[in-house]
Amino acid sequence: MQIIVNGEALEIPPECTVFQLLHDQAVSLKASVVELNGKILKQEHWQSASLQASDRLEILVFMGGG
Amino acid sequence: MNNILKSFDPSDDNLLIGGVNLLSRLFVGTGKFSSHEIVPRVLKASGSQVVTMALRRVDWKNPQENILNYLPSNTILLPNTSGARTADEAVRIAHLAQAAGCGNWVKIEVVQDQRYLLPDNWETLKATEQLVKEGFVVLPYMSPDLGAARRLQDAGAAAIMPLGSPIGSNRGLQTKELIRILIEEISLPIIVDAGIGRPSEAAEAMEMGAAAVLVNTAIATAGDPVFMAQAFRLAVTAGRLGYLAGPGERRIEAEASSPLTGFLQEV
Repeated sequence: MQIIVNGEALEIPPECTVFQLLHDQAVSLKASVVELNGKILKQEHWQSASLQASDRLEILVFMGGG
Repeated sequence: MNNILKSFDPSDDNLLIGGVNLLSRLFVGTGKFSSHEIVPRVLKASGSQVVTMALRRVDWKNPQENILNYLPSNTILLPNTSGARTADEAVRIAHLAQAAGCGNWVKIEVVQDQRYLLPDNWETLKATEQLVKEGFVVLPYMSPDLGAARRLQDAGAAAIMPLGSPIGSNRGLQTKELIRILIEEISLPIIVDAGIGRPSEAAEAMEMGAAAVLVNTAIATAGDPVFMAQAFRLAVTAGRLGYLAGPGERRIEAEASSPLTGFLQEV
């Protein structure tokens, strides 16, 4: 199943949740923020949010900036 | 020097922004440092309580550790909306930053011009209006313009952040006269953001009556960022004290400091 993560196509297993995806990709879960199809997905919903084919996911973190 | 500083108690001179009493008038940005590890030492040396950062897409292939892990827990986080080209994009980034647990302070930064990174005051105003309505503490980065600053004030901005010169240019207060007018005419705190390259320039802004300065590149790209952070801390304190003390009058002609009578050659 293919989804779009941060503008790039990504192949993921079926019934993958947002939490699982972040965990598998070793993304720091603390203070990350996720937008699913243009809407902010709160962290408490990451475990229950099953991804569907063609979903658009944005995963952002804080970096140094002025 | 310590004796001089001791007589000035900064705790009597707080800067009130968004309901918070700030002791430090130096805001520090976290971009461009050679490593995240140096950031806590820089922040300690700077004495800063307000720190900026940016929100970016995670890089799968080269994951970097979250900058928030390097900030002291009592830091006031001031996420910027860098990367936004429109008010809508800035509002979206502010929402994301808040959802990431960053509190409700936001530095609005809306830029379309990629050469000088000059902010778009019109889009900045629209984003400010929207986010103030939503309860954010909004600090807009702006091109120093009195009309735009008045509109930002009316929109409920918590402070106004005019640029001294283009971001990262280290060219100091090129917009000095316009900033002076903002300080004179706008009742909100004026925080000089962008372009301050030397501690003396930070002191100059504070002497003029700026409420605070935001410094990033000048510290991050210094030979020794920790020493430079300390230098800026002292410069901001010195400039503030100079402003509070009330500088003497400037004159074209000399006015003798020593008495003009009782010279040896007098008969």
